Amino acid sequence: MTIAAGIDVGSSAVKVAMIIGDEVLALHSERIRRRELRKVINDAYSIALGMANVKESDLAYVATTGEGELVEFRRGHFYGMTTHARGAIHLLPETRAVLDIGALHARAIQMDDRSRVLNYRMTSQCASGSGQFLENVARYLGIALEEVGPLSLQGDAPETVSSICAVLAETDVINMVSRGIKPADILKGIHISMAGRYVKLLRASGNATDVAITGGLASDVGLVEALRENCADLRFHTHPDSTYAGAIGAAFWGAYRHRVLESRKAS
Amino acid sequence: MACTESECVADCVRRAETLAFADPPPHSIGYMPIYVPRELIHAAGLLPAGLYGGGDRLEIIRGDAYFQSYICRIPRSTIELALSGHLDRLDGMLFPSICDVIRNLSGMWQMLFPDRYVRYIDVPQNFDPAVGGRFWRHELETLRRDMERIAGRPIDDEALRNSIAVYNENRAAIRELYAQRSRAPWRFPLSEAYLVLRAGNSVPPEEHTALIRDYIRGAENDLSRREMDQSRVVLAGMFCEQPPHGLLVTLERAGCAVVDDDLFLGMRWIQGDIPLDGDPLQNLVDAYLTASATTASRYSPEGHRAKWLLESYRRNEAEGVIFCAPSFCDPALLEQPMLVAALDRAGIPHTEFKYSEDTGQFAVIREQAGTFSDSIRLWSAS
Repeated sequence: MTIAAGIDVGSSAVKVAMIIGDEVLALHSERIRRRELRKVINDAYSIALGMANVKESDLAYVATTGEGELVEFRRGHFYGMTTHARGAIHLLPETRAVLDIGALHARAIQMDDRSRVLNYRMTSQCASGSGQFLENVARYLGIALEEVGPLSLQGDAPETVSSICAVLAETDVINMVSRGIKPADILKGIHISMAGRYVKLLRASGNATDVAITGGLASDVGLVEALRENCADLRFHTHPDSTYAGAIGAAFWGAYRHRVLESRKAS
Repeated sequence: MACTESECVADCVRRAETLAFADPPPHSIGYMPIYVPRELIHAAGLLPAGLYGGGDRLEIIRGDAYFQSYICRIPRSTIELALSGHLDRLDGMLFPSICDVIRNLSGMWQMLFPDRYVRYIDVPQNFDPAVGGRFWRHELETLRRDMERIAGRPIDDEALRNSIAVYNENRAAIRELYAQRSRAPWRFPLSEAYLVLRAGNSVPPEEHTALIRDYIRGAENDLSRREMDQSRVVLAGMFCEQPPHGLLVTLERAGCAVVDDDLFLGMRWIQGDIPLDGDPLQNLVDAYLTASATTASRYSPEGHRAKWLLESYRRNEAEGVIFCAPSFCDPALLEQPMLVAALDRAGIPHTEFKYSEDTGQFAVIREQAGTFSDSIRLWSAS
């Protein structure tokens, strides 16, 4: 069976997936945190190889996605939408749309049952409503990133935050802190604001009702809850490995391409 | 001494960045894209210097005053280069017939630089030897006399034959580079090959031929270059104003292996070798009539317009075509619908976008090229 690797180089983390046939063998991610990116990629790749207990020579195809052009040992590169759609179908087969929320961008993707991308919408270059923005807010509030979601769930009087501009939103947050608003209510307000933007993206991209959330913010339970509250007619699905959807999708597409290229060679 | 491919490329970048016109022969003649008979300039002992705009590092201050906003960028950056003194070393300028804008530029040049040699090269659009051939011979005879006057020496037939042989060698080296790229695009990426070709605009052809051969040898011997799984695409529409280098890098990073293109088409305008025996001037005339490349600036009968593109697609075993034309380029953009229709009839995947030589943001192009490449590799058989 084909063994393949997928490497998703994001703006804040590198995610690696190892697959064999239809199964995921290993998943590993490394935060970048001002480290030399090539070293982070190589470290994450080596650790994932070890976790999967495979040698580099066992790999039929190393596929990249995201900013993966920096991976010199790649065989092929796939665009982020393609890989997130494929990863979402693997993790959550009932879904027909993807909401990929990363550190810098969010994308709404409509797809068919084979993960073929039918339509998509992306946020602009503005950082508002991105993972990076949420990280900044966590820093202002002096809380760990992992606490953001659970704390937001405790909010019972969410404060309205600008949904247009990260700079204005950050100013809002500073004002709220000085007004003594509870961090839980601040975070809940931010999540509601972000969820509103994502739902608009989804509606503009198409009308699928089962939506897989992928990307780094898929693990933010507060955001997922805000999405569900914000939009009752859409069903939002998450998976424990949703943050690896890009890497998993890249690995599966790499394995597919390997089979295509081998059959071409044989014929 | 032969250099490695990375040294060759670094040398090309240095030349491009400094706009250095070589260790100059005493005189040089500038020319705009696409085709001029460089053999005649070379035979006079002059350096033919190709001007393909100011690229993405030239700030246009005065050039914009000469053209409306709906005109492409290459004429305004060329004017800017001239007005800022970058072209002072040229003894003259040739403006071949590409489009109305370049025709007008030749007139503006005559008014701006009345003491310099300027000539509009009106290439024939009739390929009957008795009509277009006679006209073109007359043009070349005039150009020959002009070059003789500037160089201060006659161009005898032997010198012209020698120059034809030099350019035959140069074209052969370029053909080899394209053939190698088509065979193994990961070994000869367009982002490097483009720089190697571009250097040919500012160095003598003999030196350029050696540079191309050094690059090919170096890249062939570089075992660190790994085979990549990319979509094989043909680029079309870039025969005049050149794209910024970053755009070519972006296309390759997005998963496209460019196996053929129409960049610097003038360098490959004559398809094959020009004979060396007989009357060399007539050989130049005949080569233009019978062995010219096909492009939007050259007349082709109805139905023949897309022939070159379909042939290139098949010969290079391409999987798709990217129309990548400069904004406001009349020839490229007016031809595009006919080419698109022909590709649609043949069931060939294609995508389109525009650029200007100073385009600096590639995110949208990267997205478009990336999804195009993925769709070819993952869905073309379904």
